[in-house]
Amino acid sequence: MLRVSASTTDTDIDLNAINGDTDSAAVGITYGPELVRFAQSFALRDDELAQHRQALLDIAGPDVLVDAAGVAANFQRMTRIADSIGIPVDDMQADVGQAVRQELNLTRFASAQNTLNQQA
Amino acid sequence: METFDYSDSPYPIRSDIRKAHQEYWQRLRKPGSWWNGAQRVAIAAESRQAFHCAYCVERKQALSPYQVAGQHETTQSVLDPIAVDAIHRIITDQTRITARYIEQNDAAGLSKNAYVELTGIVVAMFSIDEFHRALGLPLEPLPAFETGEPSQYQPEILSDDIGFVPTVPPEGAVGAEADLWSDGRTANVVRALTLVPDALRDWRMLSDAQYISFASMANFVGDPNRSINRMQTELIAGRVSAINECFY
Repeated sequence: MLRVSASTTDTDIDLNAINGDTDSAAVGITYGPELVRFAQSFALRDDELAQHRQALLDIAGPDVLVDAAGVAANFQRMTRIADSIGIPVDDMQADVGQAVRQELNLTRFASAQNTLNQQA
Repeated sequence: METFDYSDSPYPIRSDIRKAHQEYWQRLRKPGSWWNGAQRVAIAAESRQAFHCAYCVERKQALSPYQVAGQHETTQSVLDPIAVDAIHRIITDQTRITARYIEQNDAAGLSKNAYVELTGIVVAMFSIDEFHRALGLPLEPLPAFETGEPSQYQPEILSDDIGFVPTVPPEGAVGAEADLWSDGRTANVVRALTLVPDALRDWRMLSDAQYISFASMANFVGDPNRSINRMQTELIAGRVSAINECFY
């Protein structure tokens, strides 16, 4: 989805942001590093969430913070739906999806088996 | 007292988010398809307990979830231990849930229908609670349950082509399920909970407010009702999904 939205808006991005590289998140995405640090601290449940929440608030304001919190919380749900029900990726042959999975090395995740086993 | 007041929040919470959370609380307390109101609220309470469970922490660190014997630290509710284990697994160790686990639970009394409704409650609760945690807000007290019996509703058209449980196939959104999607096309993640259609309706309602609406899904620039554009949205979504080790 990030790749598609970047293509749609003709924006250069660096997908390594998805794997936590905050320098990559700065490429083409406003408040990218702050958004990644906030999302990462939140999802890892570490002790720095308050610090990164404040940093995002300071640079982007409360409306961005609230929207970011909504999306982050939403994907705590979506990932658990996918894995709890074991659904496979919709179209493994799609070029964009293949490129992104390769670039981010997503087959390292245990849940990849839900898709790869179905293809076998 | 009104739920999800948010008047003490240091940040203005969008009215559509508040409305979605309030609406979910109303749905949660009522009898569902396979669980009654008391059980549904108990599932919600147990979902809050999972991250405080020492057994879950130990099991998560083990090479296999079956290597570690122990007992969950639970809310001591009306729920069967199989249901408690499923709730804790979905919250703390979801990437290692397998078809075999679902089948064994089914044979032991947690039907696939009940599992899907349970999953829907757990993930809906989790997304609401996590929104609060993200903003440093206190959790909303759980609602009092309504009495009544589950409807035992199941869609007429089901398929076993994806995942661990039957789902409504793309062409199956007809009749009582006609509102689930249109044109006979949808994504697997949308189909995931359709063995209990209300579970999909719940997550759509919450997702519309917390993420983006179904209607805006093909808008890759940005929703004018949001303060972040689509790239920013997907950056957050992607990072959270990666940390959750989600291949999908």
